[in-house]
Amino acid sequence: MDFLLLNILNGLSWGMLLFLIAVGLTTVFGVLGVLNFAHGSLFMLGAYLCMQVMQYFDSFWLGLLLGPLCAVIIGVLVEKYLLKRVYNRDVSFQLLLTFAILLILDDGVRMIWGSGYHVVDPPELLAGIMTIAGQDYPVYRLFLIVIGPVIGGILWSFFHFTKWGKIIRAASFDNIMAEGVGINVPLIYTLVFALGTWLAALGGALAAPQQSLVPSMGEKIIIESFIVVVIGGMGSFPGAFVGALLLGLLGSFGTMFAGQLQMAIPYLLLAAVLLIKPNGLFKKGV
Amino acid sequence: MKKRALSIMIALAFVLVSFVGVHAASTVKIGFTYIMSGPFSAYGQFARQGAEMAIEEINAAGGINGQQVEGFFEDSTGKADVALRAIRKHVYQNKVDILIGLDSSGVAKTVVPSIEQMKTPLIITHAATPDVTGSVCNKYTFRISLNLAQNVKAASLLANETGAKKWTTVGPDYSFGHQSWEYFEKYLKQLNPQATFLPKDQVVFSPFKTTDFSSYITKVMNSKPDGVFISLWGGNLIDFVRQASSMGFFKQKYEVLFSLGAATEVLTALGDKMPEGLWVGTRYWFLANNSALNKKFVAAYFKKYGAYPSYNAHGAYSAVYAYKAAAEKAGSTDKMAIVNALEGLTIEIPTGVITFRKGDHQAVTDAHWGKTAADPNYPLRILKPIKIFKGKNVTPAISETGCSLGAAM
Repeated sequence: MDFLLLNILNGLSWGMLLFLIAVGLTTVFGVLGVLNFAHGSLFMLGAYLCMQVMQYFDSFWLGLLLGPLCAVIIGVLVEKYLLKRVYNRDVSFQLLLTFAILLILDDGVRMIWGSGYHVVDPPELLAGIMTIAGQDYPVYRLFLIVIGPVIGGILWSFFHFTKWGKIIRAASFDNIMAEGVGINVPLIYTLVFALGTWLAALGGALAAPQQSLVPSMGEKIIIESFIVVVIGGMGSFPGAFVGALLLGLLGSFGTMFAGQLQMAIPYLLLAAVLLIKPNGLFKKGV
Repeated sequence: MKKRALSIMIALAFVLVSFVGVHAASTVKIGFTYIMSGPFSAYGQFARQGAEMAIEEINAAGGINGQQVEGFFEDSTGKADVALRAIRKHVYQNKVDILIGLDSSGVAKTVVPSIEQMKTPLIITHAATPDVTGSVCNKYTFRISLNLAQNVKAASLLANETGAKKWTTVGPDYSFGHQSWEYFEKYLKQLNPQATFLPKDQVVFSPFKTTDFSSYITKVMNSKPDGVFISLWGGNLIDFVRQASSMGFFKQKYEVLFSLGAATEVLTALGDKMPEGLWVGTRYWFLANNSALNKKFVAAYFKKYGAYPSYNAHGAYSAVYAYKAAAEKAGSTDKMAIVNALEGLTIEIPTGVITFRKGDHQAVTDAHWGKTAADPNYPLRILKPIKIFKGKNVTPAISETGCSLGAAM
């Protein structure tokens, strides 16, 4: 039954990456009300920027730190000069705009770094291999399993125990009321979008040692992240966590036991949740 | 005075336009269709480089039958409907004399049946599905690159030599992956009736967009095979190799064969992360042929682009030269004359001497396999030893391909 353990680890490591992406997506939706199609491109951008920083400084940790921060600058500009204009418009404007941003980012990356495949090495500290259940297992995957809950925990504490976190939650509940009591809501929006961008780009930088870098690398993870967000409940933080875990584990066990049916699992799960709890697992019905 | 200047300018413009028109009419036009965007665009990039180099060389040497050559490039995006639109644009708008390209087998299978209506010859340089020179073959469609049946035949000869009995596969979840496994099973069974193959639900076909292969890797390792036949390509292959080596996949006792492992696009990206001693196959390997032509091609390519030519670069490059040979043999660029000239044409290209078979228009070309090895002179893994399977030994008989061109004549 050793492979059960390996399967759990496989599922968890993918699930935790998924969680980082989904939590950014869900927070942006919860506060700004914008479904950000370009989230996957920010993930991809994070990976490329991490690679670029690594080429300058030869350190993965610096790449992990600076890469996503550079992406945040782009995120802030996007929010301030583009997204801001469509908050009060029909939802279709937001979808069109974020989709356009996706295309621009993808082609921009292609122009700068080309369309060839790039690979990023894991840091030396984590490049090793551990023996688990008699089989080699990369330490980097275990690191991914740990980093997900750590970042999730920090974010959760931030939202619940700090003043700024509480302000953000207030703005997401009722932005007009928040503005009424003197909260600078436009600033909150910019900060939240920056946070969402940072989470996506961090996910990309963390994924870089695992997968090859191409402009379309975000496609799979963004589709699954959307499913996670819907399953967990749009805007729900614990929902994103549980949804990502579910999808990650079902993916790895589905591969093992369900054969070709495995591909349908995320969609079946999505359909089932929508039928039983149309607002997602963690959202109180409206 | 002003009016006069204007009329002179207009007259000049007319002269220029008509000059351009005349000029355009006197060129030979080639329409290339490759994947230029998305996860597999590195392949399209290499093909374009190969094609542009061939055109430059030919133009510098006086063109084809005295006419300069002009290349048009369209993006297939790897999707059948987009590719078909690109091909239509080439034929009806760019008015090309010949079509070259196609990467994906799925795309090729959709595009090829409509080539007949467009009455324009097509030379496929990458897509490997046996069907386009088999069940859906037609008079206008040729293929210069090694097809799936030829490559997998070589793989099964190699697999038979290893003595491994119980086989499984990891392949992309579309026609190419499934057909590769089907042919591998068929050929290896003929060579060794004792070989066994894991049932459909235990082998792995991963979706195109997969980036995390860990659970597939665990699944294959857990099924304890004697041999694993892998037909992944592009970014999928890179991700699989990196994740598999960190999970100890290559340390196991089984044999591993990568049917498309020796693509320079992939080997360059992987560098020293490609494990040594794995069997990898390819349609063209830049060190496999010592001919003067190949050496010249590799040197010129490296000088121009700073990289070693991949099989896709080679395919596009060679197809342009095959067209040139056909046009010179026919003494014209009339489309039907080209089709007739290409049939049975024998030509030397960097990979060796090939012949477009009359019966199915598939090039009889050698299959190259080798074991990955490190070499300080190269930034990527090279193949050592190299195994060359002669074209005539790996190309199935025309009766086996299911192609009947007689009816189309």
